[in-house]
Amino acid sequence: MATRKVRYKKLNVKTILPILREAQIDPTEYESLTNEAQIATGVEQAEENEYHLQAVLQNAGVAADKEIPVPPPQESTLDYEKLYKNRFSKTSTYIRFSQTVEECIGCMYDMTEEDETFLKSYNQKRAASAQLSDDDFERIMEVYEETADTRTPFAAIDQTVVPYDEMLQGLQDLGDKAKVMPHAKEIYEYWRSRRQALFNKPLHPTLKFETHQESDDMDPYVCFRRREVRQTRKTRARDVQSADKLKRLRKELEEGRQLVLASHNRELLKAETLKTDRAIFELRSQLKDIKVRLGIKTDDEDLVNQKPQKRKASEAPAVQRPPPPAALRMPVRPDGRPTESDLLELADRLAEKENELRVDIEKKVLNHAEWNRNYVDLTRGPLSPIHGPRQDPNFRPAKTQYLMTPPASASSGSMEEPTPMDLDKPQDPALLMKFRGVAQDEESRANPPAYRRRIGRLGRLWIDRRFNRPDPGLASPPRDVPDDGPDRWKYDQSSDDEEDPPVYNVDPFETRALKFRASIPIPPWMLQRPQINQRVLPAAMQQQQQQQQQQQPQPHPIPQQQPVPTPVQLPVTKSPAHLKAPT
Amino acid sequence: MSPGGEVSVGSDGPRKKGKATPDTLAVGCIAHVTKDGQARRAEILSIKETKSGRQFYCNFDNFNKRLDEWVPVTRIDFEKEVEWPNPDKDKAKEPKTKKNTGAVSKKTQPGKKNQRRPGKREQSVASEGQTPQQKDPPSASHPWSEFVESQQKDKKGTEDVVASLEVPSTGQTPGVGPDEMEVDEDETPASAAKKDHLHPFSREQEIEKLRTSGSMTQNPAEISRIRNISQVEFGRYVLFPWYFSPYPEIFSQEDSIYICEFCLSYYADLKSFTRHRMKCTLQHPPGNEIYRDDFVSFFEIDGRRQRTWCRNLCLLSKMFLDHKTLYYDVDPFLFYVMTTRDEHGCHFIGYFSKEKESQDGYNVACILTLPQYQRKGYGRLLIQFSYELSKIEGKLGSPEKPLSDLGLLSYRQYWSENIIDLLLSYGDNDEKCTIEGIASHLAMTTQDVEHTLQALKMQVYHKGEHKIVIPEKLVQQREKSRAKQKRLIDPERIQWKPPVFTASSRTWAW
Repeated sequence: MATRKVRYKKLNVKTILPILREAQIDPTEYESLTNEAQIATGVEQAEENEYHLQAVLQNAGVAADKEIPVPPPQESTLDYEKLYKNRFSKTSTYIRFSQTVEECIGCMYDMTEEDETFLKSYNQKRAASAQLSDDDFERIMEVYEETADTRTPFAAIDQTVVPYDEMLQGLQDLGDKAKVMPHAKEIYEYWRSRRQALFNKPLHPTLKFETHQESDDMDPYVCFRRREVRQTRKTRARDVQSADKLKRLRKELEEGRQLVLASHNRELLKAETLKTDRAIFELRSQLKDIKVRLGIKTDDEDLVNQKPQKRKASEAPAVQRPPPPAALRMPVRPDGRPTESDLLELADRLAEKENELRVDIEKKVLNHAEWNRNYVDLTRGPLSPIHGPRQDPNFRPAKTQYLMTPPASASSGSMEEPTPMDLDKPQDPALLMKFRGVAQDEESRANPPAYRRRIGRLGRLWIDRRFNRPDPGLASPPRDVPDDGPDRWKYDQSSDDEEDPPVYNVDPFETRALKFRASIPIPPWMLQRPQINQRVLPAAMQQQQQQQQQQQPQPHPIPQQQPVPTPVQLPVTKSPAHLKAPT
Repeated sequence: MSPGGEVSVGSDGPRKKGKATPDTLAVGCIAHVTKDGQARRAEILSIKETKSGRQFYCNFDNFNKRLDEWVPVTRIDFEKEVEWPNPDKDKAKEPKTKKNTGAVSKKTQPGKKNQRRPGKREQSVASEGQTPQQKDPPSASHPWSEFVESQQKDKKGTEDVVASLEVPSTGQTPGVGPDEMEVDEDETPASAAKKDHLHPFSREQEIEKLRTSGSMTQNPAEISRIRNISQVEFGRYVLFPWYFSPYPEIFSQEDSIYICEFCLSYYADLKSFTRHRMKCTLQHPPGNEIYRDDFVSFFEIDGRRQRTWCRNLCLLSKMFLDHKTLYYDVDPFLFYVMTTRDEHGCHFIGYFSKEKESQDGYNVACILTLPQYQRKGYGRLLIQFSYELSKIEGKLGSPEKPLSDLGLLSYRQYWSENIIDLLLSYGDNDEKCTIEGIASHLAMTTQDVEHTLQALKMQVYHKGEHKIVIPEKLVQQREKSRAKQKRLIDPERIQWKPPVFTASSRTWAW
């Protein structure tokens, strides 16, 4: 002890301690360092020095063969297998269990040897059928004991005994009354006598609980006292709190009750459904038998559960999600198609859309083409070869008498920019007049001018004239200007072999010419095209006729001229300004 | 328990001595009684008449109470003088005597303790001296009645091979405060005196302490000193209780009582017990299984929910735990019950209880392996399991004090093995070692770590520095025991979350 009294540096729990093996330290030094250690054991002082404990502690670390002797247990002589009959089956998961002992042991009264002898003699007096079984005896006794316990908790002190009448109520609750009741009274007397013998204490030995503070305190048999509840101070807030708690509890219990009721209902409905399903199934199986017997062959739609209302509901949304139960129960639809056929594939849908688009476009293209029929826009390709009905072969010689008079009015006006419109008006009277009074000179008879007829835009009829023989002295007729446009007119001259470019002596600043030019409106094809378009269709009919006529070889020029005025009239009426121009 | 003898020997001068006869020998006398062939001083605690003659209940000097026994007149040496109880003293102790059920010399007055202590130490030295002698005849070291001895011998041959190297693995627990343990460290007369002021809890203090926490009585005087149950039929075994247990008073008249292995209900009547067994459907402790391996299972049982079962359990365990008190009810405790499985069910091996909320940071209140399973390593499993739970809780734990002798040995063994293992691994890993580090690694309190190191003489003060020395002896011993060690708890298999209790239950309104 003396060595221990020397206080070293206080050892802190956070101090880092070097670890040495015994060999690393001088043995004698180690010996002296460790010699006298008195260590707290945590054992009760009075027992710390007990002989056997000390014997073992002294040997600690040396040999562990020292033991503290204890009274050794023995094998029991009772028949374990008979007493513990129940077999235990190991669960696969950890056991979870919350039943109490009371719930596990059934009847709380266990018959004693004394009871057994009593019951034996009791039963001997009776016929086998009227005997009282051990179990029933215990049940009756249990009722008596329990009733006595609740009615007279202090029976052992005040010696009151519960009368038989009061026991009856408890007995009522026993099942199988007919078997029990005849014995009740006699068993009661037996129970009573036994209670008396035990000074009216419970028949089963019980633990001693608190009865009276003074006497209890020193009694080693009194056990499991209640711990006094620490009193909480009573305040208004606490009252409110507990009231709220109770309210909440009430509410939650109510909710729980509703939940139970609801699930009960649900289960009832489920049962109902199952019953119905079963009934349907049975009817179907009957139906099937009948069908087989009668040889009715249908697609068996009436034997399967997929009824239209179900399908209808599921078909529309089925695009995304076909109803799985249907698929499970019946892989083939009643219409024989596999369910997959209902599924639209994305590719199909895309293709369909594209088709629609294409059709639309084609239709538009067709419409457009219809629209532009007979319209030839030569401005597009100025140098492209002339095609169509205006080929030269269409020029035919006119074999009529021809009066050579230059058109007086047209010459001045149509000099600069002769548009087909401008030419329309003067053409008519000129032709008419000329045909009447044709001068029959030799020259023209030998070489009659050739004409061609063609249909221009808006179904206007054009007649082109060409002289076969060059005549320098004769001014080329202004109406021979092709309607192809200025370019045509300009460049075609050279290709038109014999004809010289016409020269007109016109003073561009002459008042009349200025006036005329000022009166020229913006070309209607620029302004009025949409309106004209609307007239295309009615006009087209005529055009077609005319074209047919045109293609037919025409025997003489007279009928050829007949249609001329009508088409020509059209633009005239439309633009009165043109009428003025020649004047 | 020793004090009787010591007191009279060491200090208490005026104790009348004189020859006695079987008729004059009274309760409170100290006589020489033969025990295992040796005459030992024993205090007579009770006297009863039996068919075979008068019997005396003897508590032997410096022997644990579990070795108390009824002896016939023939074993008492009337040649030697008997020490008579001191009448004055008896009077002074009148109030206490009641509690002690008439134990006279046992109770030591506070004032006397000072003198008593040195005496005690001498005594222990004396017994140490005797130890070697005892060692040679192994049977002699097993003090029990002749019948037990013969039985022991039979077993020794087989069992000792297995068990001899194992420190007995029964845990029991008890409750001296930590402060007291510190004081204990350096024992000067002054501190001993101080302790004496601290120690004797007044009855009121003790009960208040028990009301709020703990399950161990601090006050030996409170314990009823005479065993009341002579024999218990439990499952396949007959157990011989060690201590008093407050079963119904009438049970003390029975030769044997019967306890159902599963619901732990108690019966004095074999017919009743048989009838009960026909009805009882329990096959395992009535709680949730929180651990299972091939060998054992653990069940967690709430004292409040399973009041009957836990009361039954406490009554049963009280027969083997001296300092356990059943003064208050079981509500504030959780019970962790270890079982083995077979085709009949999960058989109760041992258990430990644990306060739902311990003010002192205890992780175990009472701990017990039933006698038929002792010395087989089960106690170690129980202790390990209690520390595994502490690890899950993230707390450092310690058993409630006082420890019993067997409890101390079991815990010492568990602690030292684990600390040595850890220290050796530190050596391998080059880790820094602190007391705190060891404690947090093993979920032990730093105090327990320090005490273990000191007990194993591993902590030294060398060259101005605290150091830890690992004695070779311990390393070798550890290797031996490791080779033998069959079973450990596998923490992976624990399915457990620390239970949480509401504020209202924490006000001790459990």
